[in-house]
Amino acid sequence: MGFLAPLMLVGVAALAVPIAIHLIGRRRARVVKFAALDFLLATKRRTARRFRLRERMLLLVRAIACAAVAIALAKPYTSCARKGPAVTRGPQAAVLVIDDSFAAGYLIDGKRWLRSATDEARRILTQLGPEAEVAIVRAAEAADHPSELTRDHLRLRDQLLALEPSARPADTTRALARAAQLLAASSHVRKTVFLISLLAKTGVRPDDPPWGKDGPTLVTSELRPPKLPNLAVTALRADPDPGGATRGVAFDAEVGNFSDAASKVELSLAIADRVVARGTLEVGPGERKTKRFLAALPAGARATDAYVALSGDALAIDDRRWVRASLRDRVRVLIVDGDPRTVRHDDEVFYLEAALRPGDREDSGTSVRVITSEELAGVEPRARGTAGAIDLDEFDVVVLANVTALPTARVNVLADWMRAGGGILVSPGDHVDPAAYDRTMLPLLPQSLRDPIDTTWGAPPDERDSRALHLVKWEADHPIFTPFSKAAPELADAKFFEISLLGPTTSADRKVLARFTNGAAALVEASIGAGRTLLYTSTLDRDWNDLPIHPGFLPLMQQAVRHLARKHAAFGETDHTVGSSVVLPTGDLKKLEVRGPDGAGAVFEGDRIAGRSSVRFGRTDRPGVYRVIGTDQTGSTHERDELAFVVNVDARGSDLTPAPAAALPVSGTGSGGTPVDDSRRIELWHALAAAVLLLLLAEGLLVQR
Amino acid sequence: MSEDPPASRLHLDPAQLARLASLPIKARVIVEGALSGLHRAAVHGSSVEFAEHKEYSPGDELRHVDWKAYAKLDRYYVKQFEQESQLTVYLVLDASASMAFAGGGIAKIEYAGMALAALAYLVIQQQDKVGLLACGDQKLDTLVPPRARTTHLHDLMSVLESLIARGATGDESPAAALSRIAELTRRRRALIVLASDLFDADDRTLQLLAQLRAQRHDVSVLHILDPHERSFPYDGLTQFEALESASKLLVNPAAIRQDYLARMEAFLARTRATLTTAGVDYHLVQTDQPLERTLLELLVTRSRLGPARRAG
Repeated sequence: MGFLAPLMLVGVAALAVPIAIHLIGRRRARVVKFAALDFLLATKRRTARRFRLRERMLLLVRAIACAAVAIALAKPYTSCARKGPAVTRGPQAAVLVIDDSFAAGYLIDGKRWLRSATDEARRILTQLGPEAEVAIVRAAEAADHPSELTRDHLRLRDQLLALEPSARPADTTRALARAAQLLAASSHVRKTVFLISLLAKTGVRPDDPPWGKDGPTLVTSELRPPKLPNLAVTALRADPDPGGATRGVAFDAEVGNFSDAASKVELSLAIADRVVARGTLEVGPGERKTKRFLAALPAGARATDAYVALSGDALAIDDRRWVRASLRDRVRVLIVDGDPRTVRHDDEVFYLEAALRPGDREDSGTSVRVITSEELAGVEPRARGTAGAIDLDEFDVVVLANVTALPTARVNVLADWMRAGGGILVSPGDHVDPAAYDRTMLPLLPQSLRDPIDTTWGAPPDERDSRALHLVKWEADHPIFTPFSKAAPELADAKFFEISLLGPTTSADRKVLARFTNGAAALVEASIGAGRTLLYTSTLDRDWNDLPIHPGFLPLMQQAVRHLARKHAAFGETDHTVGSSVVLPTGDLKKLEVRGPDGAGAVFEGDRIAGRSSVRFGRTDRPGVYRVIGTDQTGSTHERDELAFVVNVDARGSDLTPAPAAALPVSGTGSGGTPVDDSRRIELWHALAAAVLLLLLAEGLLVQR
Repeated sequence: MSEDPPASRLHLDPAQLARLASLPIKARVIVEGALSGLHRAAVHGSSVEFAEHKEYSPGDELRHVDWKAYAKLDRYYVKQFEQESQLTVYLVLDASASMAFAGGGIAKIEYAGMALAALAYLVIQQQDKVGLLACGDQKLDTLVPPRARTTHLHDLMSVLESLIARGATGDESPAAALSRIAELTRRRRALIVLASDLFDADDRTLQLLAQLRAQRHDVSVLHILDPHERSFPYDGLTQFEALESASKLLVNPAAIRQDYLARMEAFLARTRATLTTAGVDYHLVQTDQPLERTLLELLVTRSRLGPARRAG
């Protein structure tokens, strides 16, 4: 025990006062010589003991009261093992960073960890006192953060009470950075960040410190138990089962064991909310293992949702993972090679063919047939019945790669087929004469072609690259570009040395999806009838550009043919993590409604959907299946199964391994993020003051007796 | 004759009286103050006062034959008289230490002394014999033999004065003094007046008083108490010290007042009952009570009891 004002202990000398008063009182008692003392003694014999006891108790009470007053003024305190962070009362700026990631829903003794965290936060808030300016920053990834500190502690308490675990992983570093920003704007000298977190290492980025040396004091609250074992379904894929029937699907569920002990996990697969398979999996400590389920989709369903769940553990949210399983339609592509070569890699469509059928795998989802320009004559009606006849109905997409202008008859056949729902991709090249194209090919093009330009013409070899054009300004929300980020170096780094220019047009049906750095169109789309046409203004081989050898070429071509074939549903593409935005193609819909697993969602109609090829849905706050209901131009409303998608929690958040102390930012006091003093001071003077009051009350009662 | 003294005339304050010069004067003031409210005849008795007639029998003195009655009734009757000799009065003063207590007025011993002095004065005035015996202290050997002379009164007053001046000491019971009186009065009846607070009185004292009464002596007890001993009016932390021992008691009087008063009343009731049952003339007197009233009460009670006792 210690004293904050030890000089006040001098006052303990006041202990002598009641003793002196007691003794003086005895001495100053009136003396009466009394004859009938025997009567008094006889009476007194019964009360003497009680009287003596009362006198001694009075003396004791008064002495203790005097001593207690002096000791209370000396402000005694004691220390005990710290259970929570050190909190100093008074004017100051403080930010409570609370981990509300989905891991905060971890059950400890039947109670969610977040409840303990908010209790601790309220305790800290109380101890900070009303003069402290405080903010609460949630540590979940992409959580909304407050804009300023406040003294409205009641509102902060309400916030704490309303706090629920989110469905996102923790981003502690970002939350700490925001806390530092808030504190930096405060004029208080004392600035503290109270970190109440599970301190999962996945949420801490040691290489991205939230503040420098002059940062606030960091006080961490060690609320987490030493061990937080967790099992989670970390990934789930649904692929066509090569060995199964036509409706067979293989579900590969990856289970992570984030604990120190091996675990035998019971898994179940449910398709359309019906459990169809069960299995067990032995997963060692720290291991991830995959369990494969083979199942068939329900009869008549082209697509459905499924999930794999494991037997419940303390953290339920990551025990189930959804997947969208659909029977993907094969895209049938007819490639017309306008510049065939005997050397494969010199061929006009070598790279395109490789992009559409990577590894020449059967399960690539695409079937490709390559023909020459001459062979395309087989599409004409007069060729029917001959060996070279080509039935366009067997194809979804026709690619005209560097094809010389076709005769009108062939163009008409292709145009009719396109209006009926076909898709055509046209790319220029050395064999393309814009004038000839203008004469016959316009029904197949979104816009007329003009002469190509060579941006490197006349440039010395060492300046050739610097004069090349690059792709910029593409429609990021367009289905073709959804696999790419805004920057997309896999596209932007490609160099275009020669491109075809386009002629003037007033058509409102055509749309430029991408442009080059000089502003020229790179990809133009138009809808003609029920079909679509795409004009790519450079070659599909490496003659005019080096895009085919960049990683972006494959997804760009895959997306392009799928877009033209109007087939978007594909395995794996509908799996999103919580918080990510989902791009939904609008097609011909005039209204589109998205409903989340909790019933909430969004409706796109009117200006939000008119003239757009896609809409972006960002309210993917909960894991589960999101259904899409569409209303077409005729007013017919029905569920669009092919647009449904699933949202899962980010598996990074399932790993609750604690971050090492060194990974935490350095506290402003240089304490390395841990409290300097492991003991906690408990001030005792309040209790002593209360004891003095009780003693005075007792003294009063004793005097009355 | 009125049996109750006229209270309106009795207002001599014992404290004021105590300031008078000498005990004889005090005694005279008390007696005159007391007698001034009474008909003289009430106490004007004689030792040869006629009491009743008795039929003559051989041996009776012829001078007591009532010839007038013979003339009327033709039978001889002899006059019988109330007292055949002088009254002998023994005054017993308790001079033990407890008698020194003075709550707010005069000490009990002083009050008792004045009361006995007045009584002695009255007795001498009636030419009866009065003696004095002090008790309470073994060292005391004060005995004034009964005499009827006026000069004897001065001697007796002197002794009383010296006793009062000496102050009360000791804790001896009055029993020894009463035993001595019993020996002295073996052959003659006497009036014995004991003035005491009876705090030292044991059962032996009360037995002796009853025994004296049984021997046909007239016994009166003036039970003298201080008003503070009856009301216990103390407050605040008080240390009570015994007068007859070294006992001390530090106490809050309020805490024990009820119990003390109950004990005191019980003591008084027991004493009164014991003495009254034995035929002792018992008077409870407080020292703030006027002395002439005390004297009158004693005299009135004596006169009321007189005929009955003679008959007995």
